[in-house]
Amino acid sequence: MTQTAPRTKLTLRAREAIAGWLFVSPITIGFLIFFVGPLIAVVGYSLTEWNLLTRQSTFVGMDNYVDALSQNPDFWHVLKNSLVFAAGLVPLNMALALTLAIALSRPFRGVVIFRTIFFAPVVTAAVAWAIVWSFLLQGESGAVNQMLAVVGIDGPNWLRHPDWAMFAVIVTRVFKTVGLNMILYIAALQSIPRDYEEAARLEGASGWQVFRLITWPLLAPTTLVIMVITVVGSLKVFDHIYLMTGGGPENGTLVLAFYIYEQAFEFFNVGYAAALAVILFVLIVALTITQVILKQRSQPQ
Amino acid sequence: MTTQHKLIKRLIGSTALAVALTGSAALAEELRFTVWTGSDAHLSMLNGIADGFKETHPDVTVKFETIPFGDYVQKITLQLAGGNPPDLGWLLESSAPTFVDAGVLADVAGTLKGTDGYDFEDLSASAMGLWQDGDAVFGVPFSTSPFIVYYNKSLYDAAGLEHPDTLAAKGEWTWERLKQDAAALKDGDSGVWGFQSVDGQGYGSRVLHTLIPIIRSYGGVAWTDDACGLNSDEAVAAISLYHDMIFKDQSAVPPGEQGDFFTGNAALTVTQLSRVSKLKDAEFEWGIAPLPAGPAATASVIGQAAIVAFAQGKQKDLAADFLAYMTNAENVAVMAAFFPPARQSVLEGDAFLSSNAAVTPEQMKIVADGIANGAVAPGHVAYPQIDSAMRPKFDALWKAEAEVKATLDEVCAAVESHL
Amino acid sequence: MTRFHSPFVRACWYLSLAILAVPFVFPFLWMLSGAVKPQAEIFSSSLSLMPKTWRWENYAEVFSYQPFARQYFNSLYIATVVTAGTLFLSSLAGYALARIRFAGSGLLLLVLISALMMPEEVTIIPNFFLMKWFGLMNTHAPLILLPMFGSQGVMATFLMRQYFMALPPELEDAARMDGLSRFGIFWKVALPLSRPALAAVGIITFLFSWNLFLEPLVFLSDIELFTLPLALSNFTDAYGLPLWHLQMAATSLAVIPILIVYIAAQRQIVESFALSGVKG
Repeated sequence: MTQTAPRTKLTLRAREAIAGWLFVSPITIGFLIFFVGPLIAVVGYSLTEWNLLTRQSTFVGMDNYVDALSQNPDFWHVLKNSLVFAAGLVPLNMALALTLAIALSRPFRGVVIFRTIFFAPVVTAAVAWAIVWSFLLQGESGAVNQMLAVVGIDGPNWLRHPDWAMFAVIVTRVFKTVGLNMILYIAALQSIPRDYEEAARLEGASGWQVFRLITWPLLAPTTLVIMVITVVGSLKVFDHIYLMTGGGPENGTLVLAFYIYEQAFEFFNVGYAAALAVILFVLIVALTITQVILKQRSQPQ
Repeated sequence: MTTQHKLIKRLIGSTALAVALTGSAALAEELRFTVWTGSDAHLSMLNGIADGFKETHPDVTVKFETIPFGDYVQKITLQLAGGNPPDLGWLLESSAPTFVDAGVLADVAGTLKGTDGYDFEDLSASAMGLWQDGDAVFGVPFSTSPFIVYYNKSLYDAAGLEHPDTLAAKGEWTWERLKQDAAALKDGDSGVWGFQSVDGQGYGSRVLHTLIPIIRSYGGVAWTDDACGLNSDEAVAAISLYHDMIFKDQSAVPPGEQGDFFTGNAALTVTQLSRVSKLKDAEFEWGIAPLPAGPAATASVIGQAAIVAFAQGKQKDLAADFLAYMTNAENVAVMAAFFPPARQSVLEGDAFLSSNAAVTPEQMKIVADGIANGAVAPGHVAYPQIDSAMRPKFDALWKAEAEVKATLDEVCAAVESHL
Repeated sequence: MTRFHSPFVRACWYLSLAILAVPFVFPFLWMLSGAVKPQAEIFSSSLSLMPKTWRWENYAEVFSYQPFARQYFNSLYIATVVTAGTLFLSSLAGYALARIRFAGSGLLLLVLISALMMPEEVTIIPNFFLMKWFGLMNTHAPLILLPMFGSQGVMATFLMRQYFMALPPELEDAARMDGLSRFGIFWKVALPLSRPALAAVGIITFLFSWNLFLEPLVFLSDIELFTLPLALSNFTDAYGLPLWHLQMAATSLAVIPILIVYIAAQRQIVESFALSGVKG
């Protein structure tokens, strides 16, 4: 915080504190009601066996956790899927976004058209994007495989093969979301003063050196924000997978968010779904704390 | 400070306003009736019945709400859990044991048996099986619909093949024959497949509806009370036949492809009578045949759907009255055009055979015979769990190199954990 | 203008961009062509974009099949309300977290950030019962309240805070000398300066609400109340089978107006991102 310190009276500090809390209170109160409260409730639910349809619940202690962590093989499988999805999507998305941004950050004839093209999927309903792509990715008659056939490649049955299905949902998701990151990077690139680059060029730096030593470090804050947005988005992915593969084939694309939804609203196992949610929450908090610690350690440098 | 308060107040006010504007208040005399059909023909028929109910109940309107089939059970459950239950609704046979067991359906036995001229005994006992528990009645089937074969007559004639119904009359209509025909009729260049699974969902939600007709005619079963039958020799032989159609003959629409009978992109399919409504604008000639015979039997499989009243509904008595009205002999005869009835008097009457203008009496006879000989598709109290455990295992079957027997062993292991 | 060294370099430049653009453009062209094809043709030819039979009725049927205009309006007004509400709440809170020193602000920030990553699936079950208790089932209220106060609202707050942190404090000092209250400084000085950030956060929030799928799926049962994403997946026949031609027609209707707005405003959008704190 770079704020000037309160100069004179304690009452000013008190007034500041009141103002501060008043400013944050609307979102904090809503956050308590619609997020923290429900989260506490989830912990309660997770200790019960609760059927949404019969509306009967019995206290079962830690059974749901034991079930998820040691009995039911699905959980680890699903967790692995979620991590694979994020690990595939985040780097691919960011690399493509940066490449496109560098290509499109300077004006040339048609630049607006290309920017629009790459941004267009972002404003398209995810539902529509998933539907069109599931058509294009059909086994034989799909446009993708027909195009591949032209160059002599016999494409797989994308959405029906457990490994290819994950690949297909990741790539089509990248196409859907990369435009927003691209725009963020373009914005960041445009705000870097041109003098820096020109000065380096005059000293004989190559294009790659300019990028590595000047552009990339200056993009670091943007990269951080983009990474947060993208990681969050990848952990939350639901509709895309729900519509393209329904979690299949052979549960190959079943991710945590989808699994929780399915357990609660299709099999009515509210208690089990809640236990899954709590486990997910603990994992995410652990991840966040680790990040904070790592960041603090690296700061002195 | 006051500005802040004002703003916050305004915000709360505007949220409340948005809530008030969007909240929908139910009319006291409106019955909500959920269905999964969005077909104009079906809905106008249903609305016609609701209009008839007005003669005795002038203040009552029935609002039919369409919920897409794929989301149906889940949405109904959410409405029940969310305290916004419909008064009445359609329910599929696969959900019957779960819903009856959960106690969410109203017992309408008293109303039905107490309604003048209802003639409860006329409802066939076998059709009522799933919906009765002792003296309690939790629903009345409006559709007891056998799976039948639809074939594209134009394609058959162009290929010079004998029609399936002609073959059936001679006793030569077998699954092997269907397989041959499908292979002969497949034409990759014009985008025509030989055979389409039930509603094209044979690799997803309709996997059992697609396989059970074959399995039963080979003498197998899906499961009994305590054992899974899907990996029996009979079932393996039956499923292998279908597997070969997909991957050896490449005549059946494979997983991940679209090829719809009703748009002329598949020569044969297995489904139910109500799909006739999709052939209204068909640009080809079509016909109906019974299910093919297998080595063991000519099995007929019935898919069933019933009208139920929900126990949580706000107007249970009125809902039960409407259920009784809708399933009386007169209205069942009307619905029989699309939905083969559970009432023997209607089924046996000549009027049934000519109830649908698009279907000839001979074709309707095929349907009636299917009902007479048929057994309902498999169900279970834990059906949602079985279904979800089974489907990922079935996914492994839909590959060219899959070992049918070994894969079915896995399917059975998954099924048995829920029996 | 970027200058190309030679016509060859220029050709390569455009060619590689064009190839990259294929997976982004082709789905749109496919959608537009599917929107005027009969259902059967969509099945039979997935690569040919030119319809053999033009079926313009698809567009009329979109509106007769579902209350599509109403659903369109629902999506628009919900996204607008969510965006306006989120902007107000998040700029207020973001400003306080960046600019005002008060006890507990650090802890609050930490709690909010840890909520960023939580999928809605986690809290949707209790929220389902909460909304039932409030009597808000089958209304649009959950679709408005949950994004505003859930992780999307938190994300917006975080982004606004980042922006306010970067704002030079001197700008405020003058206002304070003039005797403006905290709210006055926020409203009259900080907020007008944060227009680019508001635009950026507004766009992200609007798109989030516009694409919302799970909440409508869980909370809405009345077709009149559906929003576009749910409505689009709802063009199915009596047996739950998709009516592709109608889905395509409806989808193109849902996408094209937004795209036109984007093209018209694209320079401003990029600029607002460039000027906003979102860049860091």
